[in-house]
Amino acid sequence: MTGAITVHSAGFAVVTDLGRLRGPSLGLPANGALDQYSACVGNILVANQEQAPIIEVTAFDFRFATDTDLLIAVTGAPMTVLIDGIEHEMWQPIAVRAGQTVALEEMTAGLRAYIAVHGSFEVPLLLGSCAPDPGVGFGTVLEAGSTVALARAIEPIATPYFDMSLFNLGVLVPHIGGTATIDVTDGPDADQFAGTADRLFRAPFTVTARSNHIGLRLTGELPIRRSTEEIVSRGVPVGAVEVPPGDELLVLHRGRGVTAGYPVLAVATPLALDDLGQVRPGQQVRFRRSTVEQAAQNSRRWRSALDHLRSRIAAVYSCLGLERLLHPGVAVPPAPAGPLAAEGTT
Amino acid sequence: MSEPERGDVLIAACGPAALRVTGISGDRERDWRVVHHLTRSLSAGPPPGYIGAIPAYESVLIEFDLLATSLDHMAGAVAELLRGIDADAPLVTDPRHLCVPVLYGEEYASDLEAVAEFTGLDASDVVRLHGEPRYTVRCLGAPGGSPMLDGPAFPVPVPRLSSPRASVPIGAVSVAGRQATITPTQAPGGWYVIGRTPLRVLDLAEEPPVPYRPGDTVSFHAIGRTEFDHLDGDRLRPREVPA
Repeated sequence: MTGAITVHSAGFAVVTDLGRLRGPSLGLPANGALDQYSACVGNILVANQEQAPIIEVTAFDFRFATDTDLLIAVTGAPMTVLIDGIEHEMWQPIAVRAGQTVALEEMTAGLRAYIAVHGSFEVPLLLGSCAPDPGVGFGTVLEAGSTVALARAIEPIATPYFDMSLFNLGVLVPHIGGTATIDVTDGPDADQFAGTADRLFRAPFTVTARSNHIGLRLTGELPIRRSTEEIVSRGVPVGAVEVPPGDELLVLHRGRGVTAGYPVLAVATPLALDDLGQVRPGQQVRFRRSTVEQAAQNSRRWRSALDHLRSRIAAVYSCLGLERLLHPGVAVPPAPAGPLAAEGTT
Repeated sequence: MSEPERGDVLIAACGPAALRVTGISGDRERDWRVVHHLTRSLSAGPPPGYIGAIPAYESVLIEFDLLATSLDHMAGAVAELLRGIDADAPLVTDPRHLCVPVLYGEEYASDLEAVAEFTGLDASDVVRLHGEPRYTVRCLGAPGGSPMLDGPAFPVPVPRLSSPRASVPIGAVSVAGRQATITPTQAPGGWYVIGRTPLRVLDLAEEPPVPYRPGDTVSFHAIGRTEFDHLDGDRLRPREVPA
């Protein structure tokens, strides 16, 4: 018996991870958390592997109860986090006792918040990933009444220190809200928009309500494709900026179909994709031309922030006598709970 | 054995974390074999930072971890692998064949008529031409690992819908440009739907979840409503004995 959480109310929430890396070569999109940084930070804060299953809460309030002690962290879009009605900080580990209720309320900016739980969840996998793929009808969607088993039982965490601001974990909290600046590199087919490609950078675009995990649709002064020739389908990366027929710009996100027949004008950088995972319909986006080198450098900075956080977390948990959290032996993908719990003591 | 010539392949950045390798020899069959052989070489001996590849008709998108490698390193590794490829070798030595029954028209009769109009044919000719070839599965595409095929021998390419549909049903049999496919899942779609197959293409319990690989073959034949209802939900399987 590993314990479970029971959802009391949910608008749109799923259990996801960093994505299905083996999917694209088989025709399935990667999918996974649309703000990968926030998802990674959440898992690091609770001493999980970064790719461990995590709850993604989109836009609406979310509430669940637990029948077992939990160590959780809430990251991503700013929300009010209440444990039995008492407010707690986001971007910090929080100890929750069995029987308590966790509520996320009133997302004031952004679109997606993440709830990481130490030990993570026991959920079905497709090609090694739990990331929902609505296109093929796969995934763990959370609704009122859903229960999700933890992958591993944890011993009660009896420390008062999580509730005090004793430790400055130094989490780099992303700015969410306002006009988003989206770095893109030139796409391989930019020449097909000769003369109008720069419209992408001239004025902001507005995110429309037709946006989702497949892609963001934006209105603005569109670049015009010069060639009308039919392009034979080919692989397109997450982040591809396209101008399909109609009056919207399309920026593909992690749920994108892996092949398409439109020219690729530009490609959003990995960090920009996290920002796009947090923009709301009606919000403005300003594209900025960047380079491959700059994108790699920014990603390295991102990686180094996560690595530093992981080492600070290790230091803090050791100080608190919680080393056992750091060596959980949690396999990803999670195997049946029994053997895992046994391995956890090694 | 003949290696791809240096000038036969274009290697281009497709954003900061992907390369698009396109065959430009002018021989589509050869280009297709080259990009699929390259994909196999990559998965057999992945260069550092390699994440995966999406091979298509005449190009392959190679995705990599930009923290573990760079565009230049990955392009170098690809060029090296291309030198070891036999562009004349068949992609599969034992192609499997799939027979796909199709109920043409019906709820998509207007699409079938539109295709007939574009191509200057009768709807019955569209059906006949669609059912004639033994198609090669060129690649697995979107959505859901669709079998991407060369189009039927229509006199002119069929355009994509000017306004894509929000939802196309499972089993839609469709055409666009000089391509044809079957849609394994319910999904948005910008292609003309000329019919539906009652057979289930996708099975998430299987790996891979679709019953074909690039290089396998597919043919279509017309069925009526009664047979459609009879077959509805059966799995699409390769024929036991290769034809």
